[in-house]
Amino acid sequence: MTMERPAQAPALAAPRPDGTSAVVLAARGVKKSFAVGARTLEILHGIDLELRSGELLALVGSSGAGKSTLLHCLGLLDPPDQGSVHLEGTSAWQLGLVERAHLRNQKIGFVFEFYHLLPELTALENVLLPAMIAHSRLAFGSRKSELRERAGGLLERFGLAERASHRPSQLSGGERQRVAMARALFLDPPILLADEPTGNLDSATGAAVLELLLAEQRRRRLSMILVTHDEKIARRCERVITMKDGRIGASG
Amino acid sequence: MYRSFLSWRYLVSRPTNLIGIVGILVGVGALILILSIMTGFLEESRRTVRGTLADLIVCPRQGERSAKGVVSDDPQGLLHALRAEPRVAAAAPQLLWGGIITQRGEMGKNYERLLASSSMSHSGLLAIQLVGIDVNGIGRLTGPLTALVARRLHGFLPRPAIQDELDASAFLHSLTGDQPGEIWTAAPPNPLLPFLPPRRPGLGRPKAGVLIGEQLFTDLVMRVGQVVEIGTAVLDPERDDWRMNNREFVIAGTFRTRENETDNGRIYLDRRELADFLGQTRGYTQVLVRLKDYERDSAAVSEDLRATLSERGLIAGGAAFAEGRMELKTWEEFRGNLLGAIENERVLMGIMLSLVLVGAGFTIFAILSMMVTEKRRDIGILAALGATPTGIQQLFLMIAFWDALLGGLLGGVLGTWGAIEIDSIERWLSRTFGFQIFDRNVYLFDHIPSVVQPLWVTTIVLGAFFCALLFAAIPAWRAARLDPLVALRYE
Repeated sequence: MTMERPAQAPALAAPRPDGTSAVVLAARGVKKSFAVGARTLEILHGIDLELRSGELLALVGSSGAGKSTLLHCLGLLDPPDQGSVHLEGTSAWQLGLVERAHLRNQKIGFVFEFYHLLPELTALENVLLPAMIAHSRLAFGSRKSELRERAGGLLERFGLAERASHRPSQLSGGERQRVAMARALFLDPPILLADEPTGNLDSATGAAVLELLLAEQRRRRLSMILVTHDEKIARRCERVITMKDGRIGASG
Repeated sequence: MYRSFLSWRYLVSRPTNLIGIVGILVGVGALILILSIMTGFLEESRRTVRGTLADLIVCPRQGERSAKGVVSDDPQGLLHALRAEPRVAAAAPQLLWGGIITQRGEMGKNYERLLASSSMSHSGLLAIQLVGIDVNGIGRLTGPLTALVARRLHGFLPRPAIQDELDASAFLHSLTGDQPGEIWTAAPPNPLLPFLPPRRPGLGRPKAGVLIGEQLFTDLVMRVGQVVEIGTAVLDPERDDWRMNNREFVIAGTFRTRENETDNGRIYLDRRELADFLGQTRGYTQVLVRLKDYERDSAAVSEDLRATLSERGLIAGGAAFAEGRMELKTWEEFRGNLLGAIENERVLMGIMLSLVLVGAGFTIFAILSMMVTEKRRDIGILAALGATPTGIQQLFLMIAFWDALLGGLLGGVLGTWGAIEIDSIERWLSRTFGFQIFDRNVYLFDHIPSVVQPLWVTTIVLGAFFCALLFAAIPAWRAARLDPLVALRYE
C-alpha cells in the first residue's frame, strides 16, 4: 500500500471567524458496552466530546471510568456501539478498513502506557515503522536515507542519539517511552492520543517524559488528548474533562 | 515495505523458524533424492527388462486365415513389407523353440543336477530356449581356408556379423537394448564358428556351432569347442504325433546379457540349422524390427504396420487377434506389466514422499500459529500504527514465504547434489561405517542409478513452496482477524 508522502507540518484547521479553532476530533453520542459473561457491561453512556486544533485536553477519572475505552474509540481502534467519531469532519467509523487504517497512520499518533515497541526492531527501526507502513518498498527505498536521517534527528532531540541501534530490551522505561513518542510523532500527525504515558514510569522519569511530550505538543501545535488519573498532570493541560462511570462529569 | 522487512526480521530472530526451513529442506531433498534414484532404477530396469527384445516384434499366426488367404510360413513377404517402410531401419526373422540338453557324460550329470535344483536356484528352469537367427558375414565363411586368410590378413578376428541385415552391432543392440557390445561377450575365438563349421568330407554331417548363455555355460562346466547334444520335440503333421529330435552341436562361444533367464537358458544358433533340426516344420516364429527412431515413431509405426500387414494378409489381424495387436507389439507392450509395475512403484513412492511435504506444511502451520499467538501484541501495535488486516495477513504469509523459499531452494540444491553424487556418498558411508549399504550385485548394477530430471526438481520445489503457503494461510488469516485492542492488551 502506497500512501501519500506525510506532511512535513501538522495539517492545522484554520481558525474560525469567532476566534476558536476548528474541531479536529469529535465524539457524538458514543456508547460502548462489553459482554462480561452473560451480562452486558455498559462502559460509555453517550459521550459527546470535541478536540480543537492545537488543543491539549486532559481526560481524567478513576480506574474503570471509561477513559481508555473512549480514547480507543476516538483513535479508531475500537468501534463504538452507537454514536459517531468525526476526524477532521469525516465520520471515521463509516469508512472502510483500509481508509481507517490510513487515517490512523497519517492523522493519529498513539503513545501507550506500556510503550508497545516491537522487540525485534532497534529504536531507530521502531521510529521508522509508521513510515514503513505508509510506504511501498520502492517508495521507502527511494527515501530511505532521508527517512533514517529524520528518525535519527528525532531520537537525538529526545536524547537517544546513542541508543538508536539498541533494541527495546536494552533500553530503560523512560528511554522506551521516548522512542514510542518519537514513533508517534514521526509522520507529523495532527492528533496525538496519549494513554497514561507516564503511568509505568517512576516519578522523576515520568516528569521528564511528560515535559518532553508537552514541549513537543506546544512546538508542533498538536491536538492532543492525554488520559491520566493524575490531577497534577491534568492541571497542566488547557482543558480537563473528568469522566465518571462512563459519563463526562465535569469540564474545566 | 514493513511486510518484507518485519517478516525477515521475525524469521532471523526466531529460531523456531529454522525448524520450518529444515522441515521443508528435508522434505524437498528427500523427495528429489528418492525420485531421482527411483527414476534411475526405472531406466536401468527398462534396459534389463527389455533384455533381448527388438524395437518391434512381429509374430504372425502362421496358417491362420488372413485378408489374402492364410498367413504364410515364409518370412520373405513379411520382411519385404517391413523393409519397405521408411521408418524401419532393419528387420530379420527369428525362430524360437524349446529344448533340453541331452548330452551324456559329465555335462549330462551337471544338467541333471541343475534340473533337480531348478526350483531353488534357476527360477523353475527346466528347458532351454533355442533361438535361430540369420547368420551373415563370418558366419557365412564356409571354408577353413577363407577363415585362415581372414586371420592372416587382419591379424585379428572380424566381429561376427549375424542376424542377416541386422549387422552385429544392431543385433547386440537388440540383445542388450543399449550400448551395443559393452556387456555382450559373444566373440567366438574360432573363425569357423558361429555357426556353420566346415564340411569335412567323410566325417558325416558337420556339427553346427551354438552360442551358450554364460551362466548356463558356467553351471554346466562347458568348454568352447566342446560338443553338446540338444533334444527337442516337434509335431509330425503326417503322424499327428510328437517326435523327439536330438542333434549334436559345437559350443562356439558364450554371451552375457545380464538378464538371468536369458543367460541361464538361451542358446543361439543359425536359423536354418534350427529349422532343419525341427524337421522343417517351422522356418521362423517372429520377425524382429529395429526402427530408425523408436522414441518418436514406435506408436505410429506399430499402428501403420498393423493395418498394412493385415491388409496384405501378412498377419492374420482381425478381431480374433485384436486387430493385429496380438501379432505386432513394441517391446514395451511385450513387457507392459513389468514396466507398469516399476512405474507404479515410482508413482507410489512419490505419493508417499509427498506426505513428507505435507508434514513440512504442518510444521509451518504449527510454527506460524504459535507465532501469531506469541506476536499478538505486535499485531495490535501494527494495527494502531496503520497496518491493514490484509497487510498483517501478508506479513505472516511472507514468513512462510521465506521458510518455503529457503527450505525449498536449499532442499533442491542438496537433493540434486545428493542424487548426482549418491554413488560416491554411498561408497564413502560404506567405507566410513564398515558395512555395505547398497549391494550392487543384487541388481547387477555396478553403481546406484540416479537420474535427476530438472522438471521434477522444479515441480517438487514449487510444490513445497505452495504447500507451505497453503498451510500458512490459516494462521495468517487468524492474525488478520485479531481485534487490535485485544491484541494490544495481550501480555
